[in-house]
Amino acid sequence: MIALFIDFARRFARNRAALVGLFLVLVVIGVAIAAPWWFPRNPLRIVGRPEIWPFVSPRYPLGTDSLGRDIAAMTAYGARTTLLIGLCASLTATIIGITVGATAAYVGGWVDELLMRLTELFQTIPNLIFVLTIVSILGQKIEYVTIAVGVVTWTPIARLTRAEFMSLRDREFVQACRAMGMGSLRIMFGEILPNALPPVIVLSSLVIAGAVLFESAVAFLGLGDPNVTSWGQLIGDGRTLIRSSWYICAVPGLAIMLTVLALNLVGDGLNDALNPKLRDR
Amino acid sequence: MSGFSRRDFLMTTAGAALASGFVGSSSAATGTPKRGGTLVGTWGGFEPQSLFVPAGGGSSPYFTSTKVFERLLRLTVDLKFEPVLALDIKPAEDFRSYTIKLRPNVTWHDGKPLTAEDLVFNAMEYWKPISAGVTLDALEGAEAVDPLTVVLKFKVPVPEFFLKSVLAGKAGLVIPKHIYAGSNIITNPVNNTPIGTGPFKVKEWVRGSHVEFARHDGYWNAGLPYVDKLVIRWWRDPASRSAAFEAGQLDIGTFNPIPAPDIARLTGTKKFVAETKGYSNSAWITSVEFNQRREIFKKREVRQALLHAIDRSFISDTIFFGRAHPSIGAIPSSNSIFFTKDVQDYPFDVKKAAKLLDAAGYPVKSGSRFKMSLVSAGWFEENVKIGQYLKQAFEDVDITVELAIPDRATSLKRIYSDYEYDVAVSNNSGSIELIPATTQYYTTDGIVKGAAFRNATGYSNPKMDEIVGKMAIETDEKKRVSLVHEFDKLAAIDAPILPMVDLEPVTIARADVRNHSLTADFMGESWAEVWLDR
Repeated sequence: MIALFIDFARRFARNRAALVGLFLVLVVIGVAIAAPWWFPRNPLRIVGRPEIWPFVSPRYPLGTDSLGRDIAAMTAYGARTTLLIGLCASLTATIIGITVGATAAYVGGWVDELLMRLTELFQTIPNLIFVLTIVSILGQKIEYVTIAVGVVTWTPIARLTRAEFMSLRDREFVQACRAMGMGSLRIMFGEILPNALPPVIVLSSLVIAGAVLFESAVAFLGLGDPNVTSWGQLIGDGRTLIRSSWYICAVPGLAIMLTVLALNLVGDGLNDALNPKLRDR
Repeated sequence: MSGFSRRDFLMTTAGAALASGFVGSSSAATGTPKRGGTLVGTWGGFEPQSLFVPAGGGSSPYFTSTKVFERLLRLTVDLKFEPVLALDIKPAEDFRSYTIKLRPNVTWHDGKPLTAEDLVFNAMEYWKPISAGVTLDALEGAEAVDPLTVVLKFKVPVPEFFLKSVLAGKAGLVIPKHIYAGSNIITNPVNNTPIGTGPFKVKEWVRGSHVEFARHDGYWNAGLPYVDKLVIRWWRDPASRSAAFEAGQLDIGTFNPIPAPDIARLTGTKKFVAETKGYSNSAWITSVEFNQRREIFKKREVRQALLHAIDRSFISDTIFFGRAHPSIGAIPSSNSIFFTKDVQDYPFDVKKAAKLLDAAGYPVKSGSRFKMSLVSAGWFEENVKIGQYLKQAFEDVDITVELAIPDRATSLKRIYSDYEYDVAVSNNSGSIELIPATTQYYTTDGIVKGAAFRNATGYSNPKMDEIVGKMAIETDEKKRVSLVHEFDKLAAIDAPILPMVDLEPVTIARADVRNHSLTADFMGESWAEVWLDR
């Protein structure tokens, strides 16, 4: 097991860009964890004069927004919201996607038809509009935003899982399991899934990046939870001042850009490390 | 960068000169009006739920419907009534009946003439039961004496300024009998393509984008309107409106269309003017409402304490960039007839607020006095910030606040239909005359579930109802003023809902848009006289 992991780490490390991505992700995670020690106050508190530029006042290194809230504190706490929503939404999407994809491929027949048509139905609805609809029906709570993002992003995972399952379903080892009298669930999740998982994990890591962007879009449009800080919300609040105090949008914008880029790089690295075909590239 | 040219320099200095007193004067009628062109207008809010909302529905439908429907009178900037569809309105000696002479040769957009029958229908079937509501409770009957004369009869004496204000106000739109008779006026689908007597006909409403109005060629005021086409377009946020101005996609925007910091920048280019006239009969306020259906906020002491916890100067200076000022009492200070300073006020004092809450029976228990749901109506950019500020202000007196900033439709539903809030932030614009626009927030009969911008707090005080009842029938103008002061004092002490700040709205227009902002409520005018100097 340990040898396997070392092997995996070595292959991951071969991709330099992925290491940079991993480093950035760790920094964001670090900031998210350290936020309450760094900024013990509620980040949404008005603490100073509005529109102080970054690097002007040592108390507010990244400046203050149009209400006089500390942008550094809001960005640090925003990392928590963003990562939390990204991870939970990706988890939700992965669970739905794997369940639907695995069932469709393994059971086949009309169940496959039904589940795939359902997947297509979800795919035809424009993602962002679907997210906004769900949020406006359920309400402006962070939990609901997470569910909404999860519900719209599971379809590619389902299709990928189905394709992997299809190719594995009739292999000898699966037939051997059947011949031994193993139950369907055990075959699906105990035998096929571990073999089908690597590409799914890669896709899930990319879904996190997508979820971060969705959350930012929802918050930017003012439909996010106003009780928590989020990068998208900070950009949305600052957009009226974009001509005079552009840094209000730029700081969280940069944070979103770096995080999403880092997550994509990590996804690439995972792909290299987990894809057996690329093993000796 | 090619360096700082001489032209740039001149522009900048001109900009600085303008920024110091940037209210331009090009709104005044200069030169001979030109015919033709397309005028694109907007306001500092969102698209309406319907182009015409018979029961009111706020400023957005008011803005669109007043381009199509007209009223009997209008109020000028110096607060005098001017005839529109009526030539003359005269009270009888006992003020129990009024004779209205209609303007001859007025036709609806479909070619049918406007007659006294239409007016009788409006008075009895529309104004009294729907738009004016209890305001015209005293209206007993309407009678067409001849095709152009109508007599309105009242049970009690009715003050002249009051009646004329109602007829010239939001409730006084004249709608066609032949379209609405026999149908449910409120739900009639024609409200999305209204047919009126006004200078503009509805051509097409593209939902989510704009409504296009075509010139009504048979308009009674020959030669008007000056423009061929009027487009009212909606943008979601102020920054995109200022971009639209600069891109030449927008000619005029009423009610704070662009972010305050952008005003000086746009007027500095000399291509745009900022105008503060045209709002005296629609004084805008941002108010805080306390839901009386909730045990905690039913206590007057709690409401007063919370008012002490709000720093109104922060709201006016920081959130509105100085384009607002703290309110005193329930009546905006711009109301030169009825405003009084002599009411209970609530200076910002956190310690006093905490003391009052202790005394009201809500001491701090494990870090919190109680939980509050705060709903800030998300139709204005500023309300988002006010919501965030109030959350902090109330947290400072140890109240746990759950903040929601819903979109327009959800805000209307939560505040005015479902009453699903503890404390709400909302807006309204009142006329000079306080009945009904202002009083309906305080009277018992102002409680109409589902009707927006009325008494949503559930406040009911017989004393208040009595004062407003007296205001409605006092025909002596001086005595009426002192009754209004009595009303204001009680409203300020009971504080079920109170304005936090009076807004100082501004209209932004391209410099070549002429003849705008010349009435007491420009946003609700027909815009027939606006012309383009191109």
